[in-house]
Amino acid sequence: MLRKVGLVALVVLCGAAVVGFQSTRHQAGLGNPRVFVPAPTVYEKLGGSFTVPVADAYWLYTIQYYGEHVNADHRLDSLPALLNLVTGLSPHFTQAYFFGAFALLDAGRADLGYHLLLRGYAANPRDWHFPFYLGFFVYTFGKGAQKDQIAAEYYAQAAKLPGHLPSVPRLAADLYQKGHDREKAIMMWAQVYGQGDKYSREKAVAALDQLLPRDKTARMKAVAALRDLMTPAEFNDFIADIFKGYY
Amino acid sequence: MNQTLAIAINTFKETVRDRILAVIVLFALAMIIASLWLASLSLGQGMRMMRDFGLVAVSLFGLIVAVFVAGNLVHKEVEKRTVFVLFSKPVGRSEFIWGKFLGLAATMFVVVAGMGLFLLVIIWLVAHVLLGSLIVATLLTFVQLAVVMAVTLFFSTFTSAILASVLGVCVFAAGQLSTNVLALSRVGHSALLKGLSWVVFLLVPNLTAIDVKGALAGEGGAHWSTIGGWTAYLLAYIVLCLVGAALVFRRKEF
Repeated sequence: MLRKVGLVALVVLCGAAVVGFQSTRHQAGLGNPRVFVPAPTVYEKLGGSFTVPVADAYWLYTIQYYGEHVNADHRLDSLPALLNLVTGLSPHFTQAYFFGAFALLDAGRADLGYHLLLRGYAANPRDWHFPFYLGFFVYTFGKGAQKDQIAAEYYAQAAKLPGHLPSVPRLAADLYQKGHDREKAIMMWAQVYGQGDKYSREKAVAALDQLLPRDKTARMKAVAALRDLMTPAEFNDFIADIFKGYY
Repeated sequence: MNQTLAIAINTFKETVRDRILAVIVLFALAMIIASLWLASLSLGQGMRMMRDFGLVAVSLFGLIVAVFVAGNLVHKEVEKRTVFVLFSKPVGRSEFIWGKFLGLAATMFVVVAGMGLFLLVIIWLVAHVLLGSLIVATLLTFVQLAVVMAVTLFFSTFTSAILASVLGVCVFAAGQLSTNVLALSRVGHSALLKGLSWVVFLLVPNLTAIDVKGALAGEGGAHWSTIGGWTAYLLAYIVLCLVGAALVFRRKEF
């Protein structure tokens, strides 16, 4: 009897130790924002036919890393290296470039986002999204008198590639014109909303909230002009996001 | 020919009933299902994750089956002494080796095709896409694993079952890096090093001439003629391994 009780006590004790240890790991807090990221060449040389799955694994890790740090400590020190690794191992992984370019904005590195998109464009010259986003980056974060012209040229390139949105030539044409900067910026961000993942959509909503009129009727009128930049389903989501604080 | 076929059928029946095989396949299927969970974390890249990690599961679990079953195949016959009964009949030793390999290859085909089909169905159920390229990738993975099986069988004719299995895994790993060996043969000024690297490059099976998983993800896709050439190379490598295994096994005394 005593032996049985002792055994049960041992099991309970060991179970408590296991649960206690693991539950304290959960409360361990944020991970280190500076993580070790090997150079892509390491996996290119040693990955054999597993290079793409390694890129996928690092993609999952990059998303987790970004999600963990972006709203907590705002430290994204290793994000450029992680994106460099993922896109280096899988140069045709287009979503990694698009996500990465916008995620790098949170790291305060729009320049790196632009260069990431440039590399993606070089690796995927038939994908219209690259010149489209490059145009957006140049217009929104670029400096200098020539930025409208350069952005318009990127949009014009996007308009020549198969599968582009019908509104892309209109954007190019508008950019070639002088003035109406606020309208242009609204159109750009609305396009980003239509094409982006949930993170870039969040950024687009935040930017548009600043650019659009505060008055509800005026805002509604400005938003209605953006209807042809996205599909009806995207537009419904867009309306819901833009007027979130109004209801 | 009839003897080879009889041994192959018998080996197939024997290995396909193996419980360890069933456990490994179950683990592989669990891994493929687990890729669904990874897909949910991938920010809209679910199909890519399912496809790539699913194919990794097919490759790695197929490798485990290939090396452990192939490593034991000959030794089991010797330990159980069934080989004596077999050789008392008009069965040659090379027929024995070929029959064993073909039987195991049939088992491996069933295993890999089953896992590939399962992955295909999972992707179809989740993403409503029927990936034809996945079938090609699964078949090429089978050919790669057949090479590893042939090499392991060759090693098992003169080493222990465990060592043959370990060497099989090593050859698989070396086969993933064979292009690096080729690069090594081009650097430096030492003629000896260059010559040695070249010999190693020829000896180690080139398992990455086509990056099967990469091609599926749109990275470095291959033309059908390249796929055909590579498959022919791997089949020739298998024949060389089996001829070597038969030669060694012919000299073996029980």
